[in-house]
Amino acid sequence: MGITILGIESSCDDTAAAIIEDGFLLSSRIAGQEVHKQYGGVVPELASRAHQQNIVPVVDMALKDAFKSRDEISAVAFTKGPGLLGSLLVGASFAKGFALACNIPLIDVNHLQAHVLANFIQKKEQTKILPEFPFLCLLISGGHTQLVIVKDYLDMKIIGQTIDDAAGEAFDKCAKVMGLPYPGGPVIDKYAKLGNPSAYQFSKPRIKNLDFSFSGLKTSFLYFLRDRLRENKNFINDHQYDICASIQKAIVDILIAKLVKASLETGITEIAIAGGVAANSDLRNRLSDEAQQRKWRIFFPEFHYSTDNAAMIAITGYYKFLHNEFASLDISPSARFSI
Amino acid sequence: MRSLTIPSLNELSAVAGQFLQLTRGTRKFAIHGKMGAGKTTFIKAVCDELGAKEVVNSPSFSIINEYQSGSGMSIYHIDLYRIRDKEELFDLGYEDYFYSNAYVFIEWPENAGELLPQDIIRVNIEEVENGGRIISIIDN
Repeated sequence: MGITILGIESSCDDTAAAIIEDGFLLSSRIAGQEVHKQYGGVVPELASRAHQQNIVPVVDMALKDAFKSRDEISAVAFTKGPGLLGSLLVGASFAKGFALACNIPLIDVNHLQAHVLANFIQKKEQTKILPEFPFLCLLISGGHTQLVIVKDYLDMKIIGQTIDDAAGEAFDKCAKVMGLPYPGGPVIDKYAKLGNPSAYQFSKPRIKNLDFSFSGLKTSFLYFLRDRLRENKNFINDHQYDICASIQKAIVDILIAKLVKASLETGITEIAIAGGVAANSDLRNRLSDEAQQRKWRIFFPEFHYSTDNAAMIAITGYYKFLHNEFASLDISPSARFSI
Repeated sequence: MRSLTIPSLNELSAVAGQFLQLTRGTRKFAIHGKMGAGKTTFIKAVCDELGAKEVVNSPSFSIINEYQSGSGMSIYHIDLYRIRDKEELFDLGYEDYFYSNAYVFIEWPENAGELLPQDIIRVNIEEVENGGRIISIIDN
């Protein structure tokens, strides 16, 4: 009989459940986004309440989609952290209850490690080329920006991270000062396609190692808008596309510069991207160019596995299962939790 | 009201040290200031002075970051930027953080309204003409 893992994710705004069998994805369900779209953004209070409402139906749907019954599950994996404590608790409690009721092992999963391993999610009928170890992973989302050396499925090391804001946060906050809707990333991406990325220049962070910084860029962007608005109060409206293209270029420049530096320093040319910002089209195009020039092999997870999902929790649970890495029932979630 | 001037980033850590001297005896701070004023940067410098070993970065997404000071005391770095309703603070269990014995630094404290502790020290960060910053400590 195969190894069938139920994965549960509830670290932020989405409740999700997925089933992985012998390393292949059978089903993946995400609930709760509608609630947030209605209110624009991630609302923590709604988040944990919604998790409680969503978790049972979403697990039920994932099981049905996979044509599995409860007693065919070998182990249940859940997100231990990082995330909002209240939200994490809902997933952790459910997973513990499920493990206890079915008398199966419990597996705790690091959400960030799971984002990296999302690059290994595949379906049976797919022939997917997977990254080979060691590879470099650039993990970029609303809350995280990290460069990780991945030596093995469960052996990862952070070699660079943001010292202030995350890349996704930079997109969101720049969009906010322009009066654009949340989340800012996709809107900036869309408008940037119509603008000139070299129209405006913003200050670049001067950080020598592999760490990132976006807070100086955000401030430089704020001052730039303030000064231009003094001259022309319609400046944002008049130049929306050029502003979006230029700020996007500045953010992507920072990300690519560090990735290139990391690749040169480590000699690693297998490059994987993870996290919601991986969806940015300018980043994708520019990375493909770099890949050609530098003979990199580059990997992106499919979009719905780069944002928060449970398939990545289940695949990580699967590798932990193979390594006999289980959690005891007295484990508690951890809001701050590093790779 | 007392105030400190940070003429440039080079003086940041010295001023963070003076800030801790000036506010000795209190550990709860509401840090006011516009976006880009340097709230996170200032808190980061103060946490460095307190001997925090962890990476101090923006909690805008995570809402609460927890660090440990050199003497082993907890530091809660809270960002209420995404909070829209006080109900959400109840849900986060805000009392455990606001009324702890730990150091507490709260960005966007406006969003907590009257739920902020009475004895919290209000600090305002403002940018001045030449790019420097003025840190004002508003006495209760």
